[in-house]
Amino acid sequence: MHRIVKRTAGRLAPALVVLTVGSAAVAEETPNPYTSRIDIRSGARLYRAKCTSCHGINATGGEEADGPDLTTGRFEHATTDTGLFRVIREGVADTAMRGLKRDTDQEIWQLVTYLRTLAGTASATDLPGDPEAGRAIYDARGCAECHAIAGIGGRLGPDLTFIGDERSPNELRTDLADPSADVDPRWWTLRITHQDGSLSEGLRMGEDTFTLRIMDADENLRSFSRQDTSSVERIKESTMPPTQLSPEEGDDLVAYLFSSRMPS
Amino acid sequence: MILRASALVIGVLLQGVPVIAQSPAADDPGLFSPVTWDRLVNAADEPHNWLMYHGTFASQRFSELDEITSKNVSKLTLKWVHQIPALDRAQTTPLVVDGVMFITESPSNVVAVDADTGRLFWRYEHPLPDDLKLCCGRNNRGVAILGETLYMSTNDAHLVAIDARTGTLLWNSEVADHEKSYTKTAAPLVVKDKVITGVAGGEYGIRGFIDAYDADSGHLAWRTYTIPGPDHPDNATWEGDSWKTGGAPTWLTGSYDPQLDLLYWGTGNPGPDWNGDVRKGDNLYSSSVLALDPDTGELKWYFQFTPHDVWDWDAIQVPVLADLEIDGRTRKAMLWANRNAFYYVLDRETGEFLLGKPFAKQTWAEGLDENGRPILKPNVFPSTEGTLVAPMAGGATNWWSPAYNPRTGLLYLNAFDGEALYFQRDDDYEEGEIFLGGGTEMPQDVANYQSSIRAIDADTGEISWDFPITPRTRSGVLTTDGGVVFSASVDGFFFALDAEIGEPLWQISLGGRPHASPSTYAVNGEQRILVTMGNSVYSFGLAE
Repeated sequence: MHRIVKRTAGRLAPALVVLTVGSAAVAEETPNPYTSRIDIRSGARLYRAKCTSCHGINATGGEEADGPDLTTGRFEHATTDTGLFRVIREGVADTAMRGLKRDTDQEIWQLVTYLRTLAGTASATDLPGDPEAGRAIYDARGCAECHAIAGIGGRLGPDLTFIGDERSPNELRTDLADPSADVDPRWWTLRITHQDGSLSEGLRMGEDTFTLRIMDADENLRSFSRQDTSSVERIKESTMPPTQLSPEEGDDLVAYLFSSRMPS
Repeated sequence: MILRASALVIGVLLQGVPVIAQSPAADDPGLFSPVTWDRLVNAADEPHNWLMYHGTFASQRFSELDEITSKNVSKLTLKWVHQIPALDRAQTTPLVVDGVMFITESPSNVVAVDADTGRLFWRYEHPLPDDLKLCCGRNNRGVAILGETLYMSTNDAHLVAIDARTGTLLWNSEVADHEKSYTKTAAPLVVKDKVITGVAGGEYGIRGFIDAYDADSGHLAWRTYTIPGPDHPDNATWEGDSWKTGGAPTWLTGSYDPQLDLLYWGTGNPGPDWNGDVRKGDNLYSSSVLALDPDTGELKWYFQFTPHDVWDWDAIQVPVLADLEIDGRTRKAMLWANRNAFYYVLDRETGEFLLGKPFAKQTWAEGLDENGRPILKPNVFPSTEGTLVAPMAGGATNWWSPAYNPRTGLLYLNAFDGEALYFQRDDDYEEGEIFLGGGTEMPQDVANYQSSIRAIDADTGEISWDFPITPRTRSGVLTTDGGVVFSASVDGFFFALDAEIGEPLWQISLGGRPHASPSTYAVNGEQRILVTMGNSVYSFGLAE
């Protein structure tokens, strides 16, 4: 959806030109130095203190002051972090967007970081891929053997029914290209050798000081006492094979997955 | 501010302290009788009771009760459960006095129950304002007792005295202004006729202190700031006015040596936690242990574990007092496994550094010099982009009690081989508001790091054994003359280990998260093991 653009583009385009020319910092793109989780929290605090009256508590746009939706991943007056910094610092001429003149650079960067996290709530139509084509790829590649969407599919991979609410498009791209890059311990594999030499293997449902719980390949839930094992191996790689997709197919699949979300 | 509820009553109760009363025999606790100063000094001689937060003034969390042993601990069964009504972190170590148990509850309440059945005698509920600012939950860790009076910290930074027989409020003293984000969570410590107590608030730019109150009247007897004022030379270890907001809180109960007549108390992190640029210098006496004259509060010696701490490594651990053989000499020692991952042995008479070795993963120091000062590695300070350092801010261990068993010579503690990215940020101090100067993140899921109950040879600092915990432990430790070590894991297991070799002997899934340390007592001649997990206090004993 593009409602911000429709609502404000006419009025604000000249202001961006002025800012672009007028700011000394424009010449160079400065990487945002404050991008950790603590910066997201600090940025969120600043957002609540300074921004909600126009942009709304959920940053989806204000009712009375007509502030734009900040959750689409696209901003009318900036594409880069430096551009966002500048807009927040200096404001946008001839609009209700006033700059935050008194806040420190650190705080402005933290606000930028926070705003970037809101992009995960954008709609799939903002993405380059075709969700319908992505659905066809999902079906053809057999993703449903392990993953489920709306109750249809397997349980040997994460449920994807609301994956669009949980992962950003960029995170989904990484997940597809390199499934083992960042595996939640829930999806590690435990390879358990019992005292009698037999082997059990499955996804790590639970593990503690005294017991082990897995889901085996047949989706059986099994529990073992550590006392009865001779060794336990943790395999921290994903069980998902890397997907061989063309860039276009990747865009389509990401668009489809990103559209899989809780109805608003 | 002193609110006198019943001055006459306390006057009668405490006049002429210490009150003379015969200690009951171990196999016959008898009826509740006044806890005299003499009983407190000799608390180890009545192991059926648990007369102060750490059990005894030496704070070893060791009990001479030996009915429950490594041979029969597997026969432990549940005797009763006390459910705490308020849902929060239950951090209490109950006191047990002659068959009566005093359990503190969140937020600032205390109940008296029958130690045999867990059934209630009375409950005191402390009224609290609704504008409290607490970094870490509405917690209370326990009460102290003298005569027939209980002393308790409250979340609004007051100290209250309560009649142990009825739960009636006797006096209520404001220790600090809660609107400046001072709070109180720790059990006080009674020394002679005074109640010693500290404060929390190190994440809010407070200036920490240790107080002593007259047990009878509730009047302040002395106050020692943990950050010296400008008239003291050590104030120069703080740049500019940074000492005024430098933290160094005192949020855990200390120890006491009756022979040396010295009080020992740990101090917390300097503030702001992670931005040291605004408080250049060693920042004395943050992240230190202080030895004080308990009559006057005069500082006798100090030892700073982490000079210019920029990692939030509070020296809020238990000063464990034990006599050790070191280099052929018997030393009056203090054992201290610090949040900064080093195990220290100090001479508790002089503060002399005797020994220091890492007991957990650490990447910040090359080692300790001959005075125990850390030799820093390069590039370990928090930074804009984040600096990876072990241990994590929560520490290689934390405030949960360790336990020292003089029979094995081992110090048992929970250890965590974690790491964190430390970020430095600018932060302006605003009275009463959070003041951190940065933050931390763990770069990996907690399941990737090792947590253990670890046994350290107290004389040498060598690791004797290690019992791995998955996912981790956030519990203190108890050890007994029965050769057992008790502790718990965050996912709700309460368990027993062999004190000699660390082998598991017994476990039960209680399901709740531990935030406290186990203890033990006896009632009607039967030993009980007590643990607080989730929002419940569990009493275990041997099957009949």
